[in-house]
Amino acid sequence: MLIEIRNLTKTFQKGDEIITPLRNVDLDIDEREFVSLMGPSGTGKSTLLNQIAGIDKPTSGTITVNGTEVTRLSRTRLAKWRAANVGYIFQTHNLIPVLTAYENVELPLLLLPFSRAERQRRVQIALEAVELLDRASHYPRQLSGGQEQRVGIARAIVTDPTIVVADEPTGDLDSTTSALILELLQRLNSQLGTTLLMVTHDTDAAMVAGRQLRLDDGRLIADSATRLTEKKDESRSA
Amino acid sequence: MLKFAPYLLKTLWRHRARTMLTVSGSAVALFVFCFVGSVQHGLDSLTSQSESTLIVFQANKFCPATSHLPQDYDQIISKIDGVRDIVPIQVFTNNCRASLDVVVFYGVPAAKVRTIRDFTLVEGSWSEFENSQDAGIVGETVARRRNLKLGTKFSVGDVKVTVAGIFKSSNKSEEDYVYTHLDFLQRTPGMDLVGTVTQHEVILDSSVDPNAIARKIDDRFRGGPVETDTRTKGVFQASSLADLVELIELSHYLGYACVGLMTMLISTTTFMAVQDRIKEHAVLQTLGFSGYLVFGLVLAESVLISVGGGVVGTGLAMLTLAGSGLSVGAEAVTIAFTPSVKLAMASLTGSLAVGIAAGLFPSIAAAQSNIVDGLRQA
Ligand SMILES: Nc1ncnc2c1ncn2[C@@H]1O[C@H](COP(=O)(O)OP(=O)(O)O)[C@@H](O)[C@H]1O
Ligand SMILES: [Mg+2]
Repeated sequence: MLIEIRNLTKTFQKGDEIITPLRNVDLDIDEREFVSLMGPSGTGKSTLLNQIAGIDKPTSGTITVNGTEVTRLSRTRLAKWRAANVGYIFQTHNLIPVLTAYENVELPLLLLPFSRAERQRRVQIALEAVELLDRASHYPRQLSGGQEQRVGIARAIVTDPTIVVADEPTGDLDSTTSALILELLQRLNSQLGTTLLMVTHDTDAAMVAGRQLRLDDGRLIADSATRLTEKKDESRSA
Repeated sequence: MLKFAPYLLKTLWRHRARTMLTVSGSAVALFVFCFVGSVQHGLDSLTSQSESTLIVFQANKFCPATSHLPQDYDQIISKIDGVRDIVPIQVFTNNCRASLDVVVFYGVPAAKVRTIRDFTLVEGSWSEFENSQDAGIVGETVARRRNLKLGTKFSVGDVKVTVAGIFKSSNKSEEDYVYTHLDFLQRTPGMDLVGTVTQHEVILDSSVDPNAIARKIDDRFRGGPVETDTRTKGVFQASSLADLVELIELSHYLGYACVGLMTMLISTTTFMAVQDRIKEHAVLQTLGFSGYLVFGLVLAESVLISVGGGVVGTGLAMLTLAGSGLSVGAEAVTIAFTPSVKLAMASLTGSLAVGIAAGLFPSIAAAQSNIVDGLRQA
């Protein structure tokens, strides 16, 4: 199993109120899987994604990726782990405005021990995969919303990470562009074998994934009940 | 780190107005720092130069008016090994304290003036000075300040002198003095000074240790008839400038205050840069940038701005100082504003230190910021 999530709980304190968006969540994701995660807004989809991406720490529970228990890593080791293992696609592309498309895609490669030639090769492959090689020298402000998002996707896959997470990647796009992005993600999964976890609140979008999950009231429910390992009620109260 | 240079430079360029303003502010601060430092430097060079010239003064006396040495000490001192020449000098000044208009008379054996000083007469003649008892030659600065012309008779207290010449010197501080005949000054009415002088100026062979000779002289006259206090001319000048030295030290603090202000200016700019980019730093950290790397990038921004200001400010100050030849004078000595490589290096090193100090807290703040909170920012 590529990703094993066990007993994951995350609570936030908002004033006197304690919010528990994740309550004893268990989840397994296999290599080359494309998983979608749906649910009403504010239920904790992003929170779960962020735990898996290693940019946030759970209150309790463990996440193991490829044998590494990432929930135990120190902040600095976690950063290093992210650089090599995680690609993150944001809802708003979050490109660095002062850098060109090429430089934006190259950015995560600067953190890894690649030669200049190897970096160049990889950036070209990534830009080619999103069909934007001809826009390499353009700045984000010179690109359309869909193009920006595709550069963001190239940046997420350029290091060939263990897992790519996408938090509502089509949330800011019109339906035509959304369809294009979803098709691209599906192609990355089927042709390059990229393991993908995508948060979305659009049912049609969720359907491009091989497996659909739903998060409700802190618990995961399988939409297509393949390999979901939800905790039994007895064990939770124990 | 060099891999991130394009990101750094493009970020600074994106906010070029802010970057330029901060660089300019830093440049002004270091300009002032260099100016103040150059006065200090001029003072330092006053005390270190004239190493091979000694001034013999009466022990425990500080104002020229109170030092009285037997004139014939010159016979004894001139026999000491390493002494090339000795000149008895009577000094008369209208004001012992630091002031902007001090007139200093140096009474020197008339024929000696030409040999111990490098004066060039711009008006008048040496023979007129040497042949006339009440004649004086005056430096250009005094002449300008007191509006003295050839043949003018002028008096300070009971001393009445006729201007026989106006001179220039390579040592600008000399141009603040009036040189007269020694015996003329000794016979000033009301001052019974015949046979005594204020000080002896001892010119040494260049190979000898001036401090050793100074000790030898003081030892020779220990116990009388009049005890001496012998120092190199530089040290002597520095101690007569004591009041001014305090002022210079005070202005030195103003130089440091400027550097402090610069630190706060750059700190403010860097904090603003960090606050503008909370989300950007969160994105970078999501991509795998470690806290240390973000720390380094923000610190590098601060250092680039600071050193940029340092190069501009120090460069302008050095050019201005070298071109203007400014100086400040008091009592018997003049301090020149002296630019130097050492001062420039100190200023540049200072700008580097300021960059680091100013960037430290913003860098730490950026490195430790919460990633998820950063991403949630609009
Ligand atoms: N840093 C935080 N502090 C307090 N509450 C938070 C924080 N992050 C998320 N939450 C809360 O946790 C819940 C889940 O948030 P999120 O994971 O963003 O939801 P979703 O992505 O499903 O819309 C929400 O109620 C949100 O207000
Ligand atoms: Mg969300």
